[in-house]
Amino acid sequence: MCGLCGLLGGESSWTAPVRSTLPARQERLERVRQVNRILRYYGLNLRDFQGSAYVLANRTGRSEMVGDLGEIWPLAEKMAGRPLDPFDPELLQMLQAT
Amino acid sequence: MPPPNPSFEVLPVNVITGFLGSGKTTLLRRVLASDGSGDTAVLINEFGEIGIDHLLVGEIAPNAVLLKSGCVCCSIRGELKDALAGLFSQRQRGQVPAFRRVLVETTGLADPAPIVATLLGDPVLRHHYRVGLIITTVDCVNAELHRSTQPEWWAQVTAADRIVLTKSDLVSQQACGLLTGELRDLNPAATLALAQEVTEADLFLLGHGLHDEEPSAEVKRWFERSPRHRTGVLIERLPGVQPSALPHQDLASFCVEFANEINWTAFGLWLSLLLHRHGKDILRVKGILNLAGLPFPVAIHGVQHLVHPPVHLPAWGDADRRSRIVFIVRGIDQQWVERSFHAFAHR
Repeated sequence: MCGLCGLLGGESSWTAPVRSTLPARQERLERVRQVNRILRYYGLNLRDFQGSAYVLANRTGRSEMVGDLGEIWPLAEKMAGRPLDPFDPELLQMLQAT
Repeated sequence: MPPPNPSFEVLPVNVITGFLGSGKTTLLRRVLASDGSGDTAVLINEFGEIGIDHLLVGEIAPNAVLLKSGCVCCSIRGELKDALAGLFSQRQRGQVPAFRRVLVETTGLADPAPIVATLLGDPVLRHHYRVGLIITTVDCVNAELHRSTQPEWWAQVTAADRIVLTKSDLVSQQACGLLTGELRDLNPAATLALAQEVTEADLFLLGHGLHDEEPSAEVKRWFERSPRHRTGVLIERLPGVQPSALPHQDLASFCVEFANEINWTAFGLWLSLLLHRHGKDILRVKGILNLAGLPFPVAIHGVQHLVHPPVHLPAWGDADRRSRIVFIVRGIDQQWVERSFHAFAHR
């Protein structure tokens, strides 16, 4: 554990930061912010949980824990009830408008 | 006997694959007979009840481990894992020489992706091994038959880092040249050689890919022949063949380029979602990235939906700082990929 930020180890996904210029906790929150740019389109929201996991929630209040951002897309599809498609023109339009 | 407790290195695993009868075992024998192969452990796969391949190569690889069941696929990941973990354990205890790399020979019906998945996904193995090179043998005599009828042939060719053309002396120069051109269109990031030309086996087949001493040379090879725009579907150009009758008729490769610095988080989210949704149609990804805040390039590569950990390269080779990514895809349009990335990277 990092004594300063209280974070346990690192994520095992290949998407984990390659070399961050931000403190670890700040980096984590920035990643959450960027994930939420995408998830908003599907009515979902992600938040950090104690620096050790994430909580994914939908608008009805259903929430589930996810340990690593590498695991998020299958769970997000399940909670959204539809596929998350990076070619979806409406999603792309929304991302470019934000 | 080597000293016990050799260093806990992360060892490369090179995979030799290729369709049935395409010369994998012959190639393996040649590689293992070369001077540079001294520190190599070999895992041989058997198919069916009789380990024919084991009989052929058993004498030349005293530390070979014979996998007991079927082909190397999802169903025996545990066995592959056990074999690799056991081999590493024996190495650390000094029971086998302190090998520096592993060669895995698959059966002709194996898709290399599950092997990559095993090495990347297993929490024990990934600390001891990494994927080195995927080497695919292509039988010049039967290539047309294999590609017409066997989906595994396409999976093996598109996953390759090295393609070795075997039996080229049994076909005309023209036919060999045509096949070479088609393979380069299909997998422009792979390096091709004729089997009889593979004399420096140490460099060509026993290298460690991105984890060689000069990883930039490997990355340079990826882009030497990569087309800026979509390459026509190779099977459309085969005389006398109806493309609609063949598997993978929509296969194509292209290279996308991005001039601006890339935000790693945005890129990772985009590519991971792209591969999650369309991974079955994205057979290969290889790229070099200019990331915001980093003075050096970062290389990424993946097979189907599996992505290796990114590798930091020591420096840019020249003044060109564009990010470039080669895709081998099935039925996916280059413009969709570019448009999608730009939207995800928009800030």
